[in-house]
Amino acid sequence: MSKHLQTPETGQDLGGALQKPIQRRSFLLYTGATVAATGLLLAGCDDDDDNGTTTTVNLGSGDVGVLNYAYALEQLEAAFYAQVVATPYSGITADERTGLTAIAKHEAIHRDFFKAAITSVAASQIIPGLTPDFSKVNFADRNSVLTTAKTFEDLGVAAYNGAGALIKDNTYLLLAGKIVSVEARHAGYIRDLLSNGDFAGSDVVNASGLDRALSVADVLAAAQPFIKEKISGDNVGK
Amino acid sequence: MNLFKIIADLEKVDPEMTARLTHRRSALTLLGDLSKKFALAAAPIAIGSAFNKAMGQNTLSAVNDVLNFALTLEYLEEDFYAQALAAPTLAANLTTGSAARNAIQTIKNHETAHVTLLKGALGTAAVARPASFNFGTAFATYASFLTFAQAFEDTGVRAYKGQAGTLKTAGNPNNVLQTALQIHSVEARHAAHVRYMRRAVDPLAASQYGWVTNAEANGAPAAVYNAGNPATTFPAESNFTQAALDLRTQLGTTYTAAEVSEAFDEALDNTTVLAIARSAATF
Repeated sequence: MSKHLQTPETGQDLGGALQKPIQRRSFLLYTGATVAATGLLLAGCDDDDDNGTTTTVNLGSGDVGVLNYAYALEQLEAAFYAQVVATPYSGITADERTGLTAIAKHEAIHRDFFKAAITSVAASQIIPGLTPDFSKVNFADRNSVLTTAKTFEDLGVAAYNGAGALIKDNTYLLLAGKIVSVEARHAGYIRDLLSNGDFAGSDVVNASGLDRALSVADVLAAAQPFIKEKISGDNVGK
Repeated sequence: MNLFKIIADLEKVDPEMTARLTHRRSALTLLGDLSKKFALAAAPIAIGSAFNKAMGQNTLSAVNDVLNFALTLEYLEEDFYAQALAAPTLAANLTTGSAARNAIQTIKNHETAHVTLLKGALGTAAVARPASFNFGTAFATYASFLTFAQAFEDTGVRAYKGQAGTLKTAGNPNNVLQTALQIHSVEARHAAHVRYMRRAVDPLAASQYGWVTNAEANGAPAAVYNAGNPATTFPAESNFTQAALDLRTQLGTTYTAAEVSEAFDEALDNTTVLAIARSAATF
């Protein structure tokens, strides 16, 4: 296991990975760090250019595809909150710090859990560690951080809600259910921090009292700006 | 068929079965008193009910059964918030235009929408709304009201989660699973907000967040956070094992039991959910 993935609390890897030359090095470290990488469906691996060529990560198909899909989103969330905890925004209260630190742990646990679970059932198909791009987030600014957090949490909820029916194995379905409600609790908390009472705003909960459920394609389109690698989820659940 | 041996065997499995369930005890006593012919006729129902109670578990298999179970919970929640908004004892806390009242109204509106949605999906198969819900002393104080609200929301989250597999197995007609999940996450948003509201007014909840730490009830009924039946499928919220992995020690990084328990909510079987509901309300 790459040490990169074991020290999320520091956020060091992620900060460094924001710089382009390091992006490629990270990628090589990730691929070199795991034998499982042999089975990765990576397009452009043999492209040695650093001039903007993007690595494509294919999430795969079937239930493993859904697990990789969740793993990708949890990597993104875990990396984000690790940075939030490492460099708290200006004016953060003790209570907010406690709450956000707890969320950072939850997301890191989700990420590590998917990594372990996928490795145990389909080691050859697990996606690598992704390189987040938080260049548009101002980690010193409360509003920027919490607005990004809101985006991630609401997106995570909608992603799991939309993916439930794609899952074939009821064991995985239950696991996804155990996680999605925690993401929804996060979403409610974060939204209340931004505007008390907005825990289930009309932008996410419709007139029928239903939370959003988004397709894999829609979720990846929303998440893609925050991930350096190109994520392909065309066969998730198929 | 040796009916009474079966009952005796059930009591061996769960010695408290009859003592715990007064009305079941009546039924079983009745069975012993009546003629053999009548007893045999009544046996499948009595045994079925007693067995479900004794063994807990999800007893629902058809989509309509799941939706009616959900509808019953939504009736309860809707009525609970409607009563709260009208309760003179809470008027000083839920003043017009206050953040607290707006939040409770938002939640109530969602529960009403869920009732409408589920009734529409069930059509003529929908269970009738119970004549009344009596929540006892729930509205005596603001803190008490929020404690009940937390219990209902956290239970609701566990209840929907416990039925996902059933909907899948039943063939997921009209993608009813997704709809259930879309309700499920809204209940979780409610739970997060109510838990946060309660922090400010109830010393028992002073340190809690929107998520569930271990199986800490913080003044709510312990059963809301305890294991269902079977506990292997429906563990307590303090569970730290997922997919046979001890998440505290087997993820490459060490995490505390509290952190791990917070990161995963647990499901609950419908029998345990209804027992919790009936312990908090008469309907």
